[in-house]
Amino acid sequence: MAKRETPLLDQLETGPWPSFVTDIKRQAETKPECWDILGILELSYKDRITHWKHGGIVGVFGYGGGIVGRYADVPELFPGVEHFHTIRVAQPASKYYSTANLRQLMALWEKYGSGVTNFHGSTGDIILLGTRTENLEPFFWDLTHDMGQDLGGSGSNLRTPANCIGMSRCEWACYDTEEACHELTLKYQDEIHRPAFPYKFKFKFSGCPNDCVAAIARSDISVIGTWRDNIRIDQAAVKEYVAGNYAPNGGAHSGRDWGKFDIQKEVIELCPTQCMWMEGGELKIDDKECTRCMHCINVMPRALRPGVDTGASVCVGAKAPILDGAQFSTLILPFIKVTKDNDFEELTEFIEKVWDWWMEIGKNRERVGETMQRVGLPTFLSVMGVEPIPQHVKEPRSNPYIFWKEEEVEGGFARDIDEFRAKHKA
Amino acid sequence: MALSKDELKKAIEEKALQSPKPQLYIKDFYACDPDAKPRDIKNVANEMVREGRLAFWSSGSTTMYGIPSRIQNEEGA
Ligand code: HEM
Ligand code: HEM
Ligand code: SF4
Ligand code: SF4
Repeated sequence: MAKRETPLLDQLETGPWPSFVTDIKRQAETKPECWDILGILELSYKDRITHWKHGGIVGVFGYGGGIVGRYADVPELFPGVEHFHTIRVAQPASKYYSTANLRQLMALWEKYGSGVTNFHGSTGDIILLGTRTENLEPFFWDLTHDMGQDLGGSGSNLRTPANCIGMSRCEWACYDTEEACHELTLKYQDEIHRPAFPYKFKFKFSGCPNDCVAAIARSDISVIGTWRDNIRIDQAAVKEYVAGNYAPNGGAHSGRDWGKFDIQKEVIELCPTQCMWMEGGELKIDDKECTRCMHCINVMPRALRPGVDTGASVCVGAKAPILDGAQFSTLILPFIKVTKDNDFEELTEFIEKVWDWWMEIGKNRERVGETMQRVGLPTFLSVMGVEPIPQHVKEPRSNPYIFWKEEEVEGGFARDIDEFRAKHKA
Repeated sequence: MALSKDELKKAIEEKALQSPKPQLYIKDFYACDPDAKPRDIKNVANEMVREGRLAFWSSGSTTMYGIPSRIQNEEGA
């Protein structure tokens, strides 16, 4: 394949930032078909319209996901990208790779594909960009047989679950995110590989409310570590921070001089629920008011730690802005235990309840967060069998009417009118 | 399920053959047996894909089902 003239794209290389145009040109030195990626994009810039078609029937046998078919609508001009399918490959938990594994993956992709990758996609898995239909099965064979790796999810499937590094490196993890992610990935193989739902579905696991995988913004079910007892305080270490002997924020932001550490200004006044104060040289926390935002712990990690009665909060319904704008997940279960000791039972029971309901009630191409919004939180809670709590309430009610359900009214709607009238005149 | 598995497969096939659009959402098959759970319909539809009686069509973010000969293959095969 010949080199392409790309004057419009070349302008993108002139800025101070790294450019994908430079990257793809470099890749074209070993994979000449990559010139056609640039060629077709250049043509789109000229024509001001895309020259990619959308979708298709390609896949590997037995799988209904993991491969996204993409075709050029001008294959005669750009034969190198006539087929340009995307392959999603499941990443290892927490994205721990050996260099051997990465080399093997890259060698495989140079052999069967364009060599262009996206490490990682927004979903969290490995995105391999650009291959031809006839390469799919041989690629899949080598990936699964030689490397013991598998495809990830796409389409109306459960998408490749993702998690933070959790207990493998982080002292704040309130449950084992890697174990949870790995076990649930194995448990729900069928949902990952075969479309089951009205639309895509994601779950992500963060070990604490710092939420390093951005579960609350990116997943239909966000499992976020928390604790139900008190923040552990080491008062001696608090004094060291106040005295300036320990660097706040674990030494981060030290590029400039912020002045002396001020616990009042930098911690107590920034507590979103104002539940902290100093008393007799000691830091006090009214833990029942603490919203577990992690701020104080992040600033003084040697003095403050999450409690020891740990588990997770489960939030439902995050999505990107295709319809009705982006939204975060909404808190549904304030606390559950997330542990292999019971096979993650509390979590999987909830997930399956959400699935059963959404598969029935969800409209085509409706994310569960949209379904939830459509029926309203009270209905969703009652279907899920969750008792409403103050944390479910977003704002004070503006509607003065209360609609009772029959089971909430003593005696029901059909109580004896004569008995009532005996005591209350009409 | 009110229908046997084979009856359900027949009903799904009929629906996919007669629908004006060749690609259907999984939910479009729910009506083939209103008594069946969505999960059962999904399992049967997926089994039909393995048998070659249905095929997937995916936009990338949504997956649909159709009769293989009715779905437009971008490769023209
Ligand atoms: C003007 C040129 C481009 C811009 C500004 C651009 C920008 C972006 C951005 C901001 C994202 C989201 C990144 C993330 O959060 O993960 C993204 C994702 C992506 N890009 Fe590009 N990109 C460009 C060209 C390309 C080209 C030429 C390709 C293919 C050869 C490509 C393939 C993709 C894919 C497949 C994703 C989604 C990955 C996923 O599923 O998460 N992009 N792009
Ligand atoms: C103007 C051109 C394009 C437009 C407007 C477009 C639009 C979109 C939209 C709206 C989505 C769905 C986002 C979501 O998942 O919610 C998507 C997903 C995607 N597109 Fe495109 N796209 C374009 C070009 C391409 C090209 C050239 C490729 C690859 C050759 C591509 C590959 C993908 C992939 C891999 C996904 C993710 C599917 C998934 O959800 O797993 N797209 N695109
Ligand atoms: S989310 Fe919390 S537990 Fe997980 S890596 Fe981040 S800080 Fe650590
Ligand atoms: S975690 Fe957040 S809400 Fe709780 S005491 Fe610390 S700063 Fe306040």
